[in-house]
Amino acid sequence: MPSLDAQTVKTIARALHGYELDDAAAEALAQSAAAMLADARSLDELGLEGVEPPFSYEVLLAEAERLMKTKG
Amino acid sequence: MRADEKILALDATALGQRLRARELSPVEVAQAYLARIEATEPRLNAYITVTAETALEQARAAEREIAAGRWRGPFHGVPVALKDLLYTKGIRTTGGSKVLDDFVPDFDATAWARLKAAGAVLLGKLNMHEFAMGGTSDNPHYGTVHNPYDTRRIPGGSSGGSAAAVVAKSALATLGTDTLGSIRLPAALCGCVGLKPTYGRVSRFGVIADGYSLDHVGPITRSVRDAALMLNVIAGHDPNDATSSHRPVPDFTAGLDANLRGIRVGVLRELTDWVDADIAAGFDRAIAILAGLGARIEPVSVPALHLGLAATFVIARAEGLDYHGGWLGERQDRYGQATRRLLEGAMTIPALAYIRACKARAAIAREVERALDGRSALVAPTTAIAAPEIGQETVAAPDGSRAPVVKKLVPLTAPFDATGHPALAVPSGVTPAGLPLSIQIIGRAFDEASVLSLGHAFEAARGPMPEPAI
Repeated sequence: MPSLDAQTVKTIARALHGYELDDAAAEALAQSAAAMLADARSLDELGLEGVEPPFSYEVLLAEAERLMKTKG
Repeated sequence: MRADEKILALDATALGQRLRARELSPVEVAQAYLARIEATEPRLNAYITVTAETALEQARAAEREIAAGRWRGPFHGVPVALKDLLYTKGIRTTGGSKVLDDFVPDFDATAWARLKAAGAVLLGKLNMHEFAMGGTSDNPHYGTVHNPYDTRRIPGGSSGGSAAAVVAKSALATLGTDTLGSIRLPAALCGCVGLKPTYGRVSRFGVIADGYSLDHVGPITRSVRDAALMLNVIAGHDPNDATSSHRPVPDFTAGLDANLRGIRVGVLRELTDWVDADIAAGFDRAIAILAGLGARIEPVSVPALHLGLAATFVIARAEGLDYHGGWLGERQDRYGQATRRLLEGAMTIPALAYIRACKARAAIAREVERALDGRSALVAPTTAIAAPEIGQETVAAPDGSRAPVVKKLVPLTAPFDATGHPALAVPSGVTPAGLPLSIQIIGRAFDEASVLSLGHAFEAARGPMPEPAI
């Protein structure tokens, strides 16, 4: 099973989020991230082929309208 | 019974009637609640901010208006309090964190704005799990909230102060928020009613986000009727929230006394398999009460529910990191360590995991819809365990092993945040140790009325809950 190590977690945090993690935090996060990613993979048990993400175009338009009012 | 004790004993429905009839003054009601807050807070710690001056000012205004015949409705002059996640104009809103300890919004959350327009009186802002990212309300900045039934125990969370205050009678009704179970969990552990409405029924505008697509705002109250009354006020479309529903809002109190004989109620057996022995025994008694009301009880299997927590966790953390990204970069030292670690952990969630979790929501919702087909509601226990002790990290699992407390708090509630279905937590008695039990009633999308009707009948048949120790 693929996993993350502390150095990879530090690199992701720095490169993608501009965020510095110390060694202890990175180590703890590598372990918790592995568990979370395993949980995420377990969602495939639901048979997600053919299922589309529940994206709503109505919500997109409503948000655009709200932003026009608040941000111009 | 002293005069202020008589006031505190009234639920919102009864108090509203007395206020309208001018048998009680909003000012004496507010004073009774402020005195109760002063008496209970040293043991409860339910409030972050008490707004005594605001409450008295609003109560005086309500008194003048009611005297002049300008009654605004059932919440006119009724004292409420808000989870400190909801924006309050001119009043500090912390989110339960030092990150926002000096933040004073310049507008109100829509849910509060509607209660305020209905004449409600604001007692204060309630303590909670930091930024709603946990289920214990063990807050590193504002102290731990205590359970009114046993102050050595947690109230649940994240809306822990909202439930504790209702049960301790230091607020008559409160608003909470629910992303993985944060209304229903504390309502269950503290012994009061908590309603998570359908997603989109109540505006999220002006509420500090936990997970945008999972966040729900709803009432925490002493009775199901009070929850219906409060939902009447706060529900309805809001153009400031793009996910807010345009569906018409019925009078949620209208069908409360419907006859339940012959209705079909599904029992979610998967969820009952995960609970400890006291919860299982209490749930069996609750089912017997529902059967005694004439409901047809039918076992239902929804295997997909066991993945509801995994899906909501991925989504809530990814959306939460998006919301907190700026603060995390600039004020990371002001977060509590546990909250900070949760947010940092979200930095490793791949986009594909988020998309799969969103797809999983649709797949789980399909199964819940199938289970609801032809049935008025589904039922399950609200929590897998009764209130654990403050600081307790593990509990005994049915097989004798130890399981982390955090994994026992929300697995039965989170799936319905993922699917957005309305879900009501109603007290169902106490364990042999005297801790509250709760039954969860789940309904079809936007059919809060059926959920409330069943909850109301169950509540009446159950009889009164024992008074809390506090």
